[in-house]
Amino acid sequence: MASLREKIAQGLKTGPKFLKEFREFDNLVKAIGECKSKAEEDRIITQELELLKQRLSDPKLDRSRGKEYMIRLIYCEMLGHDASFSYVKALQFASDPNIHTKKAAYLALTQFLDCNNQLVLLLVNTLLSDMKSDNYLIVCTALVATTKLIGADLVNAVYPVVVERLRHPKEHVRKKAVLALHWFASLDPRRDGPLAGVELDKHFRTMLCDKDPSVMSAALCALHDCIKADPRPYKNLIPSFTSILKQVSEHRLPKSYDYHRFPAPFIQIKLLKILAALGAGDRASSENMAAVLHQALRRANTSHTIGSAIIYECVRTITTIYPNPALLAAAAESISAFLRSPSHNLRYVGIDALAGITALNPAAAAEHQVAVLDCLEDPDDTLKLKTLELLYKMTKANNIQVIVDKMMGYLATCPDEHIRRDIVRKVSDLAERYAPSPSWFVSTISEVFRLGGEHVDDGAAHRLTALIAEQDAELHGSAVEAYLALLDGEGGAGAGGQQAGGPRKKLPETILLVICWVLGEYGHLARRPPAAVLSRLLGVLTAHKSATDRVRATLLSALTKLAAHTGGAAGPVGTALLQPHSSGGSSPGSDAAAFVHACANSQNLDLQQRAHELQALLGCPPSLLAAALPADAARQSFSAAELAEVAALPFLDSMVERALAAGAAPYLTPEARGKATELQAKGLRFEAYEPAPFAVPLSGASTSYGTAAAADARSGPSSSGPSGSAASTYSSAAPAEPQLVLKGAGGRRSL
Amino acid sequence: MKERARVVKEITPMILARPLKLCNFLDWKNIKLIYKRYASLYFVCGVDVADNELITLEIIHEFVEVLDRYFQNVCELDLIFNFHKAYYILDELLVAGELQEPSKKAIHKHIHDQDQLVENAKNGTGEEGRSQ
Repeated sequence: MASLREKIAQGLKTGPKFLKEFREFDNLVKAIGECKSKAEEDRIITQELELLKQRLSDPKLDRSRGKEYMIRLIYCEMLGHDASFSYVKALQFASDPNIHTKKAAYLALTQFLDCNNQLVLLLVNTLLSDMKSDNYLIVCTALVATTKLIGADLVNAVYPVVVERLRHPKEHVRKKAVLALHWFASLDPRRDGPLAGVELDKHFRTMLCDKDPSVMSAALCALHDCIKADPRPYKNLIPSFTSILKQVSEHRLPKSYDYHRFPAPFIQIKLLKILAALGAGDRASSENMAAVLHQALRRANTSHTIGSAIIYECVRTITTIYPNPALLAAAAESISAFLRSPSHNLRYVGIDALAGITALNPAAAAEHQVAVLDCLEDPDDTLKLKTLELLYKMTKANNIQVIVDKMMGYLATCPDEHIRRDIVRKVSDLAERYAPSPSWFVSTISEVFRLGGEHVDDGAAHRLTALIAEQDAELHGSAVEAYLALLDGEGGAGAGGQQAGGPRKKLPETILLVICWVLGEYGHLARRPPAAVLSRLLGVLTAHKSATDRVRATLLSALTKLAAHTGGAAGPVGTALLQPHSSGGSSPGSDAAAFVHACANSQNLDLQQRAHELQALLGCPPSLLAAALPADAARQSFSAAELAEVAALPFLDSMVERALAAGAAPYLTPEARGKATELQAKGLRFEAYEPAPFAVPLSGASTSYGTAAAADARSGPSSSGPSGSAASTYSSAAPAEPQLVLKGAGGRRSL
Repeated sequence: MKERARVVKEITPMILARPLKLCNFLDWKNIKLIYKRYASLYFVCGVDVADNELITLEIIHEFVEVLDRYFQNVCELDLIFNFHKAYYILDELLVAGELQEPSKKAIHKHIHDQDQLVENAKNGTGEEGRSQ
């Protein structure tokens, strides 16, 4: 800090570089440089802003100090404070005739505003008049400001003037006009908004032939975007592009375009990108380009980064266009050179280029295996990621296990969300395509769910369960053991449960769902006693207090199935679940019963339904239970016709007829019900409502108890809602007869 | 402005933490950050994932070379006290995200013209004032 102060003091004394007339600004900067804490800095800035506010709102404002004020305001905003009171003043200053003030004001506006801000509307007139000014510097400034401030809705206001500027005598102006048009084009890429029907690329083509190279290169930028969007109309320009590239690489442009003795490298690279876009997949065009690509590749060398940049771009172009063996060989050589270099940057681009070439020529990657593995072990994250990408492209059935292991290792430690999502996607993709065996697939995908479950879509969970269902008992057993181990490692409070990757993380929802489902279906195959499985399952709830209702619902069904497969109501799980709800005592049994009771009274209808089903099923005779939940039924699949037949519920017809004969109202669809209530609700109702009916035995004509409004619109019994799903909170007595309907879900058979 | 401050705050520690030997490229969210260090000053540039990283490094270097030529042996203080001039130069070099002027000489001439114009304007008004 002391040395900075000295330097500043020295600078203020010496340099004409430091603007003596901006004394106040200099003092401000000096003060900020010297202050010791953020609070002090904030205080100084707030003071400064107060002062500026006062000065700016003063009607006798000294306009010649406009530039200084603008600069100070920009400085304050740069340090993070808000100076929005000054935006309108800046707009006024922008119309000042003094070029310095004008430029400072435009700079301030581009820093403060963006193209979505309302204030830009007030600026449009100023911009237009500035663009028509005689002074080319002012025109340039205005054009640059348009690229930063004009959004899609204001484009049409300025577009005609900008097009006029394309013919300005000064090349600076023409160049900036082209770039402004390029910005407009990017605002409306498909030309279906404000620029519909406008022939922008006609202008770009004309400017491509401009005699000044800088205008030509600006046109290249614009054309590149157009070509990326749709290459076909531009194929006739390939000869012009190749001839330009040829001339450039032969040093035909003026010396001032040289950069470290390389001829106009930025233009070369732009042209290479354009040629890549034009030549992709098109054999004839690619052949036209071959000669010039060779030449560009030969003339560049790696003595300077810029040479490497050109080579890199050439290689990328070569791998994108139609494959040409000679070019590919040359490219492979360059890649080897990159990978052997000691610089990290060059290794990075080498790996990137290798990924491109592997698709065309897998042998190339094999040659560089050692170098690639080195990069993988490198402490540099960026390099590691790039190598993982390369491996992703190179994966085949024989090396998938190793590669996936590496990727999972990275996933476990990486914090950045985008990268994690990317890796999860890649691993799932690879696993689905090249998995060597189902058990490997199951364990890998479970691992993916555990580490990155929040990025996986629901379909993946279903696919996994479907796959598991198709397998044999051995896989089921091993899957159960694996998931139990997972729950062990995670649920034991402080009992040394260690997971890879540091502190215990909550298991994501996807894996919880899969675990619950698997343990429910196949928990009876576990080697430990069913009561232990039960306690593990319940442990899920205690460990994940924020488990969603979906998890609870799956858990309930799992408990039902587990009970059914391990001896029904008489087995250990069944007895635990059916224990009467009593306060106190925390054995796993009463926890389970408490959980089921809680769900039976829950606001969520799904949970209520499942809880009641559980209780009802366990109260059934064992033969019924076995028929409802057979031991290995998940692998059964039903055709659509069968499912439709079941959904019509033909076996309930007799019950419905009996109810109708006894006087119940027929079922009204919701639309019909709506009409009925509509007719009633026309006027104000002056009679009292009928008293609400009370609990009726469920085995008879079951009625649903809605709100007391439409007492005669009771829906009939043939809706598939089972008796437990009433919206009221009456606890239903256990039904006298087992007249229940199970909703067909997945592969379960219904009565 | 808030968004900008937040982004800057997030990126700065990431870049400062990188040791010297590593790549100059960093992936962040859905863009790539390319940075170059000059003594105690870092220049950071954000580009699309598909862009050529080496050429971005060179663009940064070109910018620094132009600054050097304009300020004659540029140092940090030049940038602190004349940040508006640095912005003008940047505007000459990059418009709408594209490099527009590959020739350093042209940029230099342009900015000098600007300064020259101001000088003339100042002298002009001075003369007017005197003659009145």
